[in-house]
Amino acid sequence: MAARAKRYALVIDARKCINCKACVVACRAENGVPLGKSRNWINEEIRGEYPRLLATFEPEQCHHCQDPACVRVCPTGASRQRPDGVVVINQSDCVGCRYCMIACPYDARFFREDSGVVEKCDLCASRLDRGELPACVETCPSKLRVFGDMNDPSSDIAKLLATRQYRVKKEEAGTNPRIFYLL
Amino acid sequence: MKTIEWGFLIVSYLFLGGLSAGLFFASGLAALLQKNEQSGTDRIARFGALLAPLPVAVGCLLLVFDLGKWYRFYKLFLHFEWTSPMSIGAWLLLAFSVVSLLCAYAWVPQEWRERFFAALPPRLAFLRRVNRDFSAWRKPLALIGLPMAVGVGIYTGVLLGAVQSRPFWNTNLVAQMFLFSALSSGCAALILTIIFSKGSPEVAELRLLYMLDICFLALEFFIVVPYMIHGQLSVQAVRESLHLILGGPFTVVFWVFFLGLGLLLPLGIEIRETMPALLRNGRFHYNKHLTAVTAVLVLSGGFLLRYVFVFAGQMSAFK
Repeated sequence: MAARAKRYALVIDARKCINCKACVVACRAENGVPLGKSRNWINEEIRGEYPRLLATFEPEQCHHCQDPACVRVCPTGASRQRPDGVVVINQSDCVGCRYCMIACPYDARFFREDSGVVEKCDLCASRLDRGELPACVETCPSKLRVFGDMNDPSSDIAKLLATRQYRVKKEEAGTNPRIFYLL
Repeated sequence: MKTIEWGFLIVSYLFLGGLSAGLFFASGLAALLQKNEQSGTDRIARFGALLAPLPVAVGCLLLVFDLGKWYRFYKLFLHFEWTSPMSIGAWLLLAFSVVSLLCAYAWVPQEWRERFFAALPPRLAFLRRVNRDFSAWRKPLALIGLPMAVGVGIYTGVLLGAVQSRPFWNTNLVAQMFLFSALSSGCAALILTIIFSKGSPEVAELRLLYMLDICFLALEFFIVVPYMIHGQLSVQAVRESLHLILGGPFTVVFWVFFLGLGLLLPLGIEIRETMPALLRNGRFHYNKHLTAVTAVLVLSGGFLLRYVFVFAGQMSAFK
């Protein structure tokens, strides 16, 4: 029997998020993200009026879609999907046309003026290749991020996806995102 | 993180690329319809062919300078990605530019050619080998180039229409809208060229250009209308994105300056000018100033259509 292909994905239990932004800082340090830009961010929403308030925090980054629009529109193949599902940018092929930024339903990409290329979360691909976790997952103090191979039934992420209800964002854009938010 | 990534460089390129496609289309059509050198459409074919390579060349320069680092543009031609409208478009633009340049050379008047090669320094004398009459190639080149011109006109719309995450663009009507706008801007540019060139314009020339332009503008209008109706009857994200031109920031530009002044007004003027000649075998109205203003309105309408779509489209998104 052929080995089942890996499919990395991320489960986020957003209700545990306390908006400490350690993930953003860890990502910045790990990937040398310039100030003013971010590969990951936290959506804040505050509803109601004091004292009846609801504040929700929702971490977000590249969704590493199964059918990524950015990869489809890239004219040079610089944006591509690895066999394990991680969507990466080959910076030496990127011409900086920014078509992918326009095509991404999640606005997960940014343009780097100094190098003239587009950047985004690659789930710390170089760490993955060393067998380590992405920096944001490792650093999160609330441990609300669960990263792993969703095709491996014994992984934490596969168990969570099998037993918990979840939602994905902007499903109607048709890109099959792979960040799952627990309900 | 929502930013406008494609600005006026891209708007101008989409306009100029379309303009070249339109010029080549009208020129090619006139060349194929032409019976002999003296027939009335000769100047349309010649001016169109001579002008066609210019806007697209400027447009491509704008595109290159819009890239992150302009000197990386050659990487576009190291790859072919058939799922990317931009990759298909880059190759198409290259092919179209080559064909339109060859076609322009085939249409260069003999005196210009002789004068140019006479002025060549001796070091470049080997270039004189191409100092030949290529006029036999005009029709074959028009035949090869016509589908490419249509392709360039369509592709500028597909580039936007193929983006599934921007509801304002992601309909099957944007490509045709851009195509007919491109073809009509080519006609308008030719009308301008002909009325300001030496020798008074002939009825046959103006009638062909007006007829083409009326067809293209009418087609464009009947695509813009269903675009809005269909959008209003579509899913919430599309309806919300249409608000950008129905009450939102682009309402005045779209309705007054594009649809009113850039499409319906010139369409009305052109119909009024042409109708007597068509219906009652009467004389063709011709007023140089009115014709020039009409053509300028058509051109500005074409530019504004692209302005509205490029900017509004990037502001539209799924919630």
